Amino acid sequence: MDRLRRIGFVPGQPGTPASYPLAARIAGRFGYPLLTRLVATLSFVLLLFPVVGPPLRAADSLVRYEASHRAMGTVFTVVVYGSNSDYLEEVTNQVFQEIDQLDDQMSNYKPGSELSAINREAARRAVIVEPRLFKLIQDSLQYSRESAGDFDITVGPLMKSWGFFKGQGRLPSKSELAQVLKKIGYQHVKLDASARTIQFDTTGIEIDLGAIAKGYSVDRAVQILRDNGIKVALISSGTSSLYALGSPPGDHGWQISVRNPLDTSKAACVLRLQDLSLAVSGDYEKFFKLGGKTYAHIMDPHTGMPVENMLSTAVVSLSATDSDALSTSFFVEGPDAARHYLDRHPNLTAVFFLPEASSHEFKQVVLKSSTTKLPADAFISLDCH
Amino acid sequence: MKNKKEVTRRDFLKTAAVAAAAGGARPMTAAPALLSSPNPGSTVHYGFIGTGTEGCNLLKRLATIPAGRCIATCDVYAPNLKRGVETIGSNPQTYTGSPTEYQRMLERKDMDAVLIATPLNEHAQMVIDALNAGKHVFVEKTMYFKEEEGEQIRKAAEANSRQILQIGLQRRSSMLYNIAMQMIRKGALGKVMFVRAQWHRNNNWRRPVRDPKLERLINWRMYKEYSGGLMAELASHQVDIANWAFEAEPLSVMGTGGIDYWKDGREVCDNIEVIFQYPGGRKMTFTSILYNAHLNYNEQIMGDRGTLIITIGKGMYYREAAAKSTNGKAKENWWAGATVTQQAVEKGIPLFPEEAQSGQQGFLDREMLYAKRWLASMGIFEYEEPHEPYWVELSNFMASVRDGKPNACGIDIGIADARAVIYGNRAIDTGTTVYWPKKEA
Repeated sequence: MDRLRRIGFVPGQPGTPASYPLAARIAGRFGYPLLTRLVATLSFVLLLFPVVGPPLRAADSLVRYEASHRAMGTVFTVVVYGSNSDYLEEVTNQVFQEIDQLDDQMSNYKPGSELSAINREAARRAVIVEPRLFKLIQDSLQYSRESAGDFDITVGPLMKSWGFFKGQGRLPSKSELAQVLKKIGYQHVKLDASARTIQFDTTGIEIDLGAIAKGYSVDRAVQILRDNGIKVALISSGTSSLYALGSPPGDHGWQISVRNPLDTSKAACVLRLQDLSLAVSGDYEKFFKLGGKTYAHIMDPHTGMPVENMLSTAVVSLSATDSDALSTSFFVEGPDAARHYLDRHPNLTAVFFLPEASSHEFKQVVLKSSTTKLPADAFISLDCH
Repeated sequence: MKNKKEVTRRDFLKTAAVAAAAGGARPMTAAPALLSSPNPGSTVHYGFIGTGTEGCNLLKRLATIPAGRCIATCDVYAPNLKRGVETIGSNPQTYTGSPTEYQRMLERKDMDAVLIATPLNEHAQMVIDALNAGKHVFVEKTMYFKEEEGEQIRKAAEANSRQILQIGLQRRSSMLYNIAMQMIRKGALGKVMFVRAQWHRNNNWRRPVRDPKLERLINWRMYKEYSGGLMAELASHQVDIANWAFEAEPLSVMGTGGIDYWKDGREVCDNIEVIFQYPGGRKMTFTSILYNAHLNYNEQIMGDRGTLIITIGKGMYYREAAAKSTNGKAKENWWAGATVTQQAVEKGIPLFPEEAQSGQQGFLDREMLYAKRWLASMGIFEYEEPHEPYWVELSNFMASVRDGKPNACGIDIGIADARAVIYGNRAIDTGTTVYWPKKEA
């Protein structure tokens, strides 16, 4: 059996009062004054015109609706509870439509996407960016600064060099890597917030939102669910980014099992989450083998090499965008550096699955933010075997 | 378009009859009792009519089936007759020359069964004659050529109801297809609404002819006097799969086709595109072309919960990313892990276990394991290695004759299949929708 060790696990903290306003919660996530005002205004409007879905009829009973949808190179799954399956289907279709639009906008596989246009043109001129994508790129650069570059949305050329873009792994030569590394670095991305433009200060820079777009899409999906009065739902983006909205009837939290990275048919941890997101990064789905060595798809932007001393990371936070970005960031930097981040940022729980000398064993480290002030409706329980 | 210099099959057969008269035939000495009722442990003695390409395909398999012994072969074309004798290797007596020579073969009292792999236009009369001569009959698909022949054969079969009549639609004997049909019956595909099938080749579909006089004999498939073209030779296999999957015959068929690429004197289309409509709005489309082989041949059976893409030797199951709505609460237990790639989802699940190609414990391996457990839990997964369908269908035939085992492909299947072929060709030829006769209540 795996030899497991836990470090610094702190049980869940009591939440803030139930009156914690939605606007502040969302705005708090983004830490952005303009958005705070926007969301506050929106919430006020929502109070005037409450969105609760179609009225319940006497004959209506509890309905569970589940659907999957292929997008962003993976499969999104949504489960919603409600009283009317037609309504649940319509809302879910709206979610998938939104995800498709985000895919069309943020894909670096689609030549026609806004991101592809940025990558083609931003080295030559300042390119104006759609507001929410601009915000996402701003946030991405913030993660980069806070992680000293361990999280970096400019790793695109590295992914291509290693063959992960086309799914055919290859080992780049040292000189090739040295060349490619010159094209890596979030510092080369220059944003002008007042003009809402982006520019690269050198040629060859390419933005790849693969480490954050799925989490961001989950957040956008959750917003649509909430806007349509959905109280209970779970959304999963290819199992790596999830959001648990409310709790299934009769349960406290959604039960989610994090895969054992060495035997993925087994659970390493079981969580129960309510109004929280979870993201997992792992080296066991996208990898290739060469000369007896395994090369996984998560890159260390500093060395240009796949990260080797980490099997998997899992992060729980209020926003799926945060969780997604941080699971990658923590995967690259490991628990020691992550601890500093957790000291500065509240409401995070991170699990690290570290390799041991024996290839059949791993070490498990659980870390939490120094401060936890979860909203009243948020709930987490974590049980690592 | 008919070349006047060419001799018709009939002309050839007449000429050949004279030539063969001198050849003579050696009568068999040993004469076991006719297997008019099952007799396990005995050997089925059979004659084989039509030892051309398809005939030899069957003989090659028959040569390894000990339940039967080929005691006679019959073909009007000497080189094929020789090839058949060599293929079966049991030193059969040969019958050749006259087009009615097979009837002389049927007179043999030591012969239990007859297998027929002749050109399509000859099937019906041979089947009827063989049944009336007291023989069990295996006939290659398509079962018959003209609409009225179906009932004629049925009459003969009913008059000789103790004899087996099996049609050579070998997919019916494939374990893979049988598992696929069980998956459909058990709901693995949800509501099955559509079958799309194609048989695409990139060649002229001709056999080499040394002497132009033999053109119509060798390339009988090209001429409407003998052949139902691509519909009879290729679609017949696949329409039968739709019939099987839908458990129904079509209501109507529309279609088109033409001689648009291989304008070489052939009379049958080099491309056909047909739509069969089944009860309940279910449909099957079939295309066959002779100028692009990229899609090759397979059948794609589609339900609202999954797709089966299947052909001889290979079947894949793809789950539909479909929604489902249920009343009440389900047990919620979700998995979180590294991002599952869409590619892995789209790879599908093989119907038979295959060794993991790279030894990687990725998503597909886990899906495979899950699929095996799931199929086994539904009672539709078998771990035995499947046999090759040609071999199985011929073994089935011998087992039906000798041991009374169920017939793998009986007359009703054959008639439904032949009717679809005939009506499909009529729809193409007339450019109209052809309707099946209304069934009597």
